[in-house]
Amino acid sequence: MRRDPSRSTVDGMIEVHELTKRYGGTVAVDGLSFRVRPGSVTGFLGPNGAGKSTTMRVLLGLDAATSGEALIDGGRYRDLRRPMLSVGALLDAGAVHGGRSAFDHLGWLARSNGLGTARVAAVLERVGLAGVARKRVGGFSLGMRQRLGIAAALLGDPGVLLFDEPVNGLDPDGVRWIRELMRTLAAEGRTVLISSHLMSEMELTADQLVIIGRGRLIADTSVRELAERFRRGVLVRTPRPADLIGVLTTAGGIVDTTPVGVGVRTDAGNAAFTVTGLDVTQIGDRAAAHGIPLYEVTPRSASLEEAYMELTAADTEYGALGRTPAAARGDA
Amino acid sequence: MVDVLASEWRKLRSVRSTLYVLGTVAAFLLLCALWCWYLRGYWDGLTPERQAHAKAAAAAQPLLLALPVCGTVLGAVAITSEYATGMIRASLAAVPRRGTLFAAKAAVVGALMLGAGVVSMAAAALVGEAIVGKRPIPAFEMPLADQAAHVLSFGLLTAATALMAFGAGAVLRSTAGTISTLLALLLVLPPVLNLLPGPWGDRLWAVLPASLAEQMALAPGASPDSGPLSPAVACGVLVAYIAVALGAGAFSFIRRDS
Repeated sequence: MRRDPSRSTVDGMIEVHELTKRYGGTVAVDGLSFRVRPGSVTGFLGPNGAGKSTTMRVLLGLDAATSGEALIDGGRYRDLRRPMLSVGALLDAGAVHGGRSAFDHLGWLARSNGLGTARVAAVLERVGLAGVARKRVGGFSLGMRQRLGIAAALLGDPGVLLFDEPVNGLDPDGVRWIRELMRTLAAEGRTVLISSHLMSEMELTADQLVIIGRGRLIADTSVRELAERFRRGVLVRTPRPADLIGVLTTAGGIVDTTPVGVGVRTDAGNAAFTVTGLDVTQIGDRAAAHGIPLYEVTPRSASLEEAYMELTAADTEYGALGRTPAAARGDA
Repeated sequence: MVDVLASEWRKLRSVRSTLYVLGTVAAFLLLCALWCWYLRGYWDGLTPERQAHAKAAAAAQPLLLALPVCGTVLGAVAITSEYATGMIRASLAAVPRRGTLFAAKAAVVGALMLGAGVVSMAAAALVGEAIVGKRPIPAFEMPLADQAAHVLSFGLLTAATALMAFGAGAVLRSTAGTISTLLALLLVLPPVLNLLPGPWGDRLWAVLPASLAEQMALAPGASPDSGPLSPAVACGVLVAYIAVALGAGAFSFIRRDS
């Protein structure tokens, strides 16, 4: 089913506004604001204990916010009469009664929202559990439980989907299956929010990223913007380093000659260094103008994994100071 | 509400613990039949003088012991297993109106144990009638029609124990804690109160849940003065137990994070 994201301004929108949640003296979420839009996969990233699951529990009305609000489609989840028709959620795949069959588990869920057994059969088919529908869930592997949890989220064919760590415990085939499913669901116009502590996974699945640490927003950005922000200059290799460094410095480039890391060969007769302030074209043009041969010109950026580690490490060390200006404004 | 009731009923009937509890009730009904059969043979072998003074437990005696325990276990597990597995989050995500969800759960638990209690007690009465027949044993002389009130009152007590355990379970969120609390109230407290001096032992005993069924309706073989409470007052006390347990449970269920 293809959905029209322009039906209304809040349709399919997840809005978290100045959300704070305290458990006793512990602050799990601290003034968190972000928005998730339909039609793309948004990765909800943070180290363990960053407040991802708490935020999801508050979004689903399971835990009450200490202050602030968390809205879906412009309203509170608790006010939905048949929530599964608009929001599907997978919080903890292990949280099922082992004594029930997959069919019975989905059966009571479907019945509570007025859905028939045809939907149960349809989602079991979609997640590939149709063959074990009558088997007790207690005998399921973690991967099968994840599939069952996803089936439950899809029961009401909702426009908004929340998945908490859906790839945990999956084998490579399962991980790829989830990745493709998430992308398909987003392409159908749905809002898809996936929490994870693995940047490498979100890099392959998500378009947008909401990164939090210690309950605070660190970055609300797209995967592409994050890669841009952690651009690390251009690696240049030449047999005449001294001449080229002179030329590039004159042209306004900043040259760093410290060893550039594993895999970069600096033999006798050529040397590699990193240039910032000039892009690949500018470097090539200057070198050509002075007749200096280039053996390699490679734009370098930190991997998203490194970017993520850097962002979250900064937050861990400096708390609120780790927030970027863009993130502090809360714009997307 | 109809959808939520149907959903909770499906949830309750699709786990083995429910079948085990109902199976236990059935096993104790069988025990009632065995007891009647044994008693018939024993009675028939007695001399007429000894028959005149013989006393025996009623046909439903095994069930009188088992039903409150079965009700407690089923009521407790119906709510605490959701907290133990974490499935409560799926339930509340499916039905965020917590008052409705709590009421639907309580309704199916109460109705199932009321049904199990009434059906098994009635069956025990019929079994006693069929096996022992017209032998003039005191506990078997009450006509079936007169036993109906006791069948109903004990069915109510069974449902009450299930609902009290359910309410306590919503507060405690622990299966072991809930079942031990209820069994202490139902089984341990009555003999302990008997140790109290004078009228206080009797007065406190009279308002314990386990003593209420026989004060609500005369049990077969019991003396007419089985307790100080009138049937209406006894029934009111039982309802008060249910109301307090469900009230505390609902408050906890609706207000606390899950």
